[in-house]
Amino acid sequence: MLQDIIGSQTGLFADGVQTVLRGHENRSRRVVLLKGNLVQNSRSDSAGINARVNNHGTFGFASIAEYTPEAAEKVIRAATENAIALGKHSGRNLPLPVSAGTGTVPLNAKIVDAEQKELIEMCKTVDGYIEKKYPDLTSRTVVYYEDSQDRIVYTSDAYNGHLVTPRCYVFVMMSAETKDGVPVELFKAFGGFGSFYDHFSDPEKLYPGIDELYKKLMDKKEGVYAEAGYKTVVLGSMMGGMLAHEAVGHTVEADLVRGGSVAGPNLNKRVASDLVTMVDFAHTYNGTPAALPVFLDDEGTRAEDVVLIRDGILTGYMNDRESAAEYGMTPAGNARGWTFADEPIIRMRNTCILPGKNTVEELIASVDDGYYLIDSGNGQADLTGEFMFGVTCGYEIKNGKLGKALLDTTVTGIAFEMLKTVDMVSDKVEWSSSGFCGKKQPMAVGMGGPHMRCKITIGGR
Amino acid sequence: MELKQAADFLDGILREQKIEKYGFFLNQSEKQELNIENGEFKLLRTVFNNNTSVNVFLGTKTGSAGGNAMTEEGLRKVVEEAKAAAESASEDPCHDIAPGQGKELYRRGIYEPDMEKFIERIREFLDTVAKEYPEVRIMASIGSFDRWHWLSRNTNGTEFEGIGGQYHFSIEICASDGERTTGLDYTGIAMKTLDQPLIELGDIRRHLEDIRRSIHPETLEGKFEGTLILTPGCAANFIFMTLSNYICDGVIINGTSQWLDKVGEQVAHEKLTITLDPYDERIVSGECGTASGFRSEKVTLIEKGVLKTHWLSLYGANKTGRPVVKNTGSDLVVTPGDKTLEELIASVDKGLIIGYYSGGQPGTNGEFSGVAKNSFLIENGKIKGAVTETMVNGNLGEAFRKIRGISREVLCDGGSVVPYIAVDGIVISGK
Repeated sequence: MLQDIIGSQTGLFADGVQTVLRGHENRSRRVVLLKGNLVQNSRSDSAGINARVNNHGTFGFASIAEYTPEAAEKVIRAATENAIALGKHSGRNLPLPVSAGTGTVPLNAKIVDAEQKELIEMCKTVDGYIEKKYPDLTSRTVVYYEDSQDRIVYTSDAYNGHLVTPRCYVFVMMSAETKDGVPVELFKAFGGFGSFYDHFSDPEKLYPGIDELYKKLMDKKEGVYAEAGYKTVVLGSMMGGMLAHEAVGHTVEADLVRGGSVAGPNLNKRVASDLVTMVDFAHTYNGTPAALPVFLDDEGTRAEDVVLIRDGILTGYMNDRESAAEYGMTPAGNARGWTFADEPIIRMRNTCILPGKNTVEELIASVDDGYYLIDSGNGQADLTGEFMFGVTCGYEIKNGKLGKALLDTTVTGIAFEMLKTVDMVSDKVEWSSSGFCGKKQPMAVGMGGPHMRCKITIGGR
Repeated sequence: MELKQAADFLDGILREQKIEKYGFFLNQSEKQELNIENGEFKLLRTVFNNNTSVNVFLGTKTGSAGGNAMTEEGLRKVVEEAKAAAESASEDPCHDIAPGQGKELYRRGIYEPDMEKFIERIREFLDTVAKEYPEVRIMASIGSFDRWHWLSRNTNGTEFEGIGGQYHFSIEICASDGERTTGLDYTGIAMKTLDQPLIELGDIRRHLEDIRRSIHPETLEGKFEGTLILTPGCAANFIFMTLSNYICDGVIINGTSQWLDKVGEQVAHEKLTITLDPYDERIVSGECGTASGFRSEKVTLIEKGVLKTHWLSLYGANKTGRPVVKNTGSDLVVTPGDKTLEELIASVDKGLIIGYYSGGQPGTNGEFSGVAKNSFLIENGKIKGAVTETMVNGNLGEAFRKIRGISREVLCDGGSVVPYIAVDGIVISGK
């Protein structure tokens, strides 16, 4: 883990500007077993230091792939020079955002490293279980993936602190063939925040999830295409999380609001049914740690929750310090960079629609003719809130009961229209955190949600 | 540490560890990047970075490690970690490095940027857009110059060295009439010189025109089977999804590819020829060498619709007993057709011209289902209005067998050369 060797350089911060100095290390570990063949076996550690200077709305940033006091000095000087140099070409002249407080945020966790040998052995154990128990699969892939971020932040007028975000996952992918010889696939992610030893010391704990995945794949082998059109559906928690992140979350990032997103003219207006409340949680959900806790951002803002939609009314945006000043809001710690070479930009943390009062069974039983959409492989949305989610796992619902499984399909809609059709929300939330959000830089984010009954456009052949 | 000094140091510690077979890659890079937000210069970013990657073989076991510390301590750590990873690996004789390729120095692009000129060009671009496309908002734009110096070496006697640099310019745009705002559109281009106004490069003007015409899109009712004209960026996306689904390592090793035994057979329409060509003059910085140590070659994957080879790495080739392809890059060159874009559009009874496909990587069966973004309806040979909430469904393999036509016009964005491709038999559905 990073040692604090940069704090002594804050004396080099220039007067009259806002400066943030960040030491940052990223680690990754990867093992891939493809049908039992070890096709990837790698690890990497990259560290460096950066400085960002805000000179009245014109920003300078510099980074070096070294983590030393000398590198800290160089990047502070270079970022200050960049801010001044760009100021000659920029018409920006904004007041510097006021300080939201100063202090120190303590280290939140530790990064514990496992040897590559342990990672490989665990993957082999899991792969061996699948190979032995399910010999009829046409293919299987077991992936161990781990990444961690370790950052130390010093600021001129905000909080300093040390934050680590380790996460690790096992992805299991299975393939089978339909009776017509057409391949079908499913995958599942296990793991979350923490180290290898937190999640994978006992591989047998993965077996029930693997068994469930196999069962769903066998259902999918007999699957049918969805009928294209505007349908009543029950969105599973993973789909709800994707919706919260992609279709709503991005439109309420203040930099995209400034660019003209649909959230701009809708602040304080109804954008969803009154069953919908959505929050970007900083570090704690319901008294327990959030999927990927964030205590401090890369501008030195102490992280707080942001209520984005309350009872169907759009109530807030996610901000950095500059946009918060522009919109008259309070920054809550959303400005983050992925590596030492990345400047902080507005990112989600743990975005979630809050649970309601119904059970999942009640939601399914209430649908005469529709679909239960469980898992998504990917999703995208744009400024208008028009979204697309790939559906990798789902079932028909006929007369309140689950029917045949679905082959891969896609759903689409306009978020603020679709959310107004939500008329039942389940009482439990599930989280996922294995994905990356892409927005100039990648970022690890958590997303979650309950089951929701709503209307949505589904693709089909 | 200087690059060659680091390479020699790495050789020394690998020999010290009595590792007889290895390869490594070292890179030192610098980025100067201008960030424009809502038409204003906002951030100037300078990045000095290194990359180190070492692949160690212990008999038939292999492991790799990487990092960015080009110091004695950092390089020692990478070697130790790569060795430990190899020690933990399974025996697999299919992992290997390429036979000796000798030494070669590659120069690509330019090495010294003219940042003042670049700023002038960006300012000129912003002013032109403001004047000619007042409805268009440049939400974000990035102008960067990347410079690199890399060196790869292995124990079969190969040493490749690359020196170069390139400008890159990208935009993220939307359009608004004050009441309605479009979705986002993106485009970008890599270049060696600043000779031309940025707005005239690649397909930047087309994106500006299209987003301006997308402020009031219409929702399609029902569904129909029609023609999809893939704009060049979208065509490149469909081609890479197809290559990944049918001819890459994973699906060939797995045996799940539907083109597993199709080499030498017609898999696509005869109009389609797909080549990877790192030496095409229109590509600014094509691949020089592969990760396993081959000198990159021009490779035709599909010629007149016939699959010439699977796209296998050395490992994939050894694992399946098929030929290796000495190109792992994305230097895509698609042979243009004999019709103009206008003629292609005129030939379509009903369909879409699609700017961007919003959808995930299809499964190995090739079925795709996604949203047509930045797209326009075509009816009776004419482009109508922009569409919204419109989905396209089909099968990658089938789509490329049903090519209606390929345009003469190609997009050269510095990274690939791709025409418009019209495919039939796509299910297009609205609400």
